[in-house]
Amino acid sequence: MRNALLSLLLLLPLTAAAQIDASSTTLDAQQELKELRARLDKIEGAPLKASLSAFNPAMGMAIDLAYQHMKNDQGAFQFRAAELNVEAPIDPFLKGWAVITGTSGGTTTVDVEEAALQTTSLPYNLTVTGGRMFAAFGRLVHWHDHELPVTQRPLSIDSFVGGESRADGIEVSYLFPTDTYINATAGMYDKIGADNTRQDPAGLRSLDQFTYLGRLSTYEDIGDDHSVELGVDSAWTPKRFVTGTTNTRKDTWRTLSSVDFTYRYQPTQGGLYQGIVWGTEILQNDERRFDANNNPANRVNAYSGYSYIQAKMGPRLRPGVLVDLAEGLDQARQLTKTYSAFLTYDVSEFQRLRVVYSRQMDNIPGSRQANIVALQWTGVLGHHVHGFRDR
Amino acid sequence: MKFMLTEKTMKNELLALTLLLVAVSLTARAQAAGALRVVATVPDLVDITNRIGGGLVKVDGLAKGAEDIHQVVMRPSFVTKLNKADAVVFLGLSVEHAFLPGLLDVAANPKMRQDPATQGCVGTGCIDTSEGLSVLEKPDTLSRAQGELHPQGNPHYNIGPDQGPLLARNIAKGLSRIDPVHAADYKRNLKEYLAELEPKIALWRKWVAPLKGLKAVSFHKDVCYLGRFTGIDFVDTLELKPGVAPTPTHLEALVREMKEQDIKLIVREQQYDPKVCQWLADQTGAKIAVIGTMANAFPGAETFEKISERNLKALLAAVGKEPS
Ligand SMILES: [Zn+2]
Repeated sequence: MRNALLSLLLLLPLTAAAQIDASSTTLDAQQELKELRARLDKIEGAPLKASLSAFNPAMGMAIDLAYQHMKNDQGAFQFRAAELNVEAPIDPFLKGWAVITGTSGGTTTVDVEEAALQTTSLPYNLTVTGGRMFAAFGRLVHWHDHELPVTQRPLSIDSFVGGESRADGIEVSYLFPTDTYINATAGMYDKIGADNTRQDPAGLRSLDQFTYLGRLSTYEDIGDDHSVELGVDSAWTPKRFVTGTTNTRKDTWRTLSSVDFTYRYQPTQGGLYQGIVWGTEILQNDERRFDANNNPANRVNAYSGYSYIQAKMGPRLRPGVLVDLAEGLDQARQLTKTYSAFLTYDVSEFQRLRVVYSRQMDNIPGSRQANIVALQWTGVLGHHVHGFRDR
Repeated sequence: MKFMLTEKTMKNELLALTLLLVAVSLTARAQAAGALRVVATVPDLVDITNRIGGGLVKVDGLAKGAEDIHQVVMRPSFVTKLNKADAVVFLGLSVEHAFLPGLLDVAANPKMRQDPATQGCVGTGCIDTSEGLSVLEKPDTLSRAQGELHPQGNPHYNIGPDQGPLLARNIAKGLSRIDPVHAADYKRNLKEYLAELEPKIALWRKWVAPLKGLKAVSFHKDVCYLGRFTGIDFVDTLELKPGVAPTPTHLEALVREMKEQDIKLIVREQQYDPKVCQWLADQTGAKIAVIGTMANAFPGAETFEKISERNLKALLAAVGKEPS
């Protein structure tokens, strides 16, 4: 194709030149040659835009493999997830994405993690997202497993939210037109939490059985090298959906609230090679609990939280520590503590190795502490964006 | 520390929040148009946009100039700058991949949206200064096995001292498109800027005559446009592939290669490791020239003109020559 074009371009001036009488040709021919060269440059020099594909969706896949070594010298390989993500603009006003995962929890399952539409051109700094998404609750809560700083989702968020903050619903977010970054999000969902079984995920429900979220977050630079992020939110479910019980009392509302704080040190000179991230999140769950037979029990107000520090040392190494505390949802006095040390090695921008050592203990009489060593190997295929959120 | 929200306070808070949102959006709307608000990704573009825009634009920059452009950190203040901007001026060719797509994604500005498929900028406010550039080092295949930092060809054209006019023309074209009322002003400013820059480029061409045909290595594969201007033949890089740090085996091979080909010049971009460059210099007897890859990479080199001049002087000094 290119050769044909080139020969055509080269032949044209020759035939043209042949037709003109010799006296005036030299200057004209030179001029023409110059133009031709310019046109050739255009063909040769055009950037490879087409191959980056204007109409195909961007696709990527993250493959996450872990080896866990538990107490009693027993271990297991875990093919944790293969996560396929597809993203594309739909028209100038809308984009869409989907995240499909295959996970193995004994049996392998394929699941739609996310499938959502998002506006891109609404006025007044508004963005509307609808579909299945990770609700904008908390900070690490709405990160995919393989994006977390540690191998295992911290118990504080795992037990309080019920896994990732997956939710079917609609979310409106508003970026304040101020010099400081302030974002407000309001959401309405069937429920929040992939493993949250409180609300029937499929059934019809009245308005007071949905979950409503309000979140306010702000980011601020402190000088050139430091920044802080602060977020507060609350997810409110006015009424719990309970099957198989007759004596449901009225006050079955639940609030799951959180405060998160992140400090970052990112020196300008070192680029992404140096830095520190300190992230802390505290959650509070206030709800009426139900026993195994779906009979209402006490209302319990429980807290949990984690705090981690991760340093960046050079282009490859990221060591860190994490402390996680989680009260029992049924019994607030039951406390589980997890201390983890982790080391991440970024082989390249698309491949990562990680080793995590965790010690977990609780104050339940008779229970033993657990030591867990986990090795994780993650690779990213294809499309890969540096998101603002996980910067 | 209790932060429990009862139903009632929750509802009140939601109401208050809604009122606040409405109030803020109204004040935002009321803000007068005034000067065109432009965000430029790198200091070179801040400089030239200021020259072309004159008093008609207010320019904010993102990268500071001393960073590795492939590793620029997204700062929260970047988001609010982009949110309020009428235009964003960028080098393109994916060179801002570390920060621009992510920022556009959250900036909620319909004038400059991130295209999730290409990671480019779409919207009326996007000004891509690579338009019309004769791109060098286009990859034959797009494969991660080759590193993927330069998927659209070499994007470091702002290091080419002769690329200033292209940057300026594209900025003038973009500003005139977005603000046609002042097109004549932008055209005049462009003419003035080129009248200053083009004689400089002609002078620089004379300076670099002694560099022609010289063989050299650089740390990152970002010097091809500089090589074309100066005539320096950049043979290899310290990095294994673009974005892949030097390995011991690669460095050993590089030492052999430099000795065999009698390569006596190492170009270190100031953001990269001085120690490994010094080691290589010790092994081969080559001299090191330190250059900046963006304006403002060094104090006192905050314009395109100044950084270009400084880079050329550094190259000449490393081989014992002076600008003539
Ligand atoms: Zn590069």
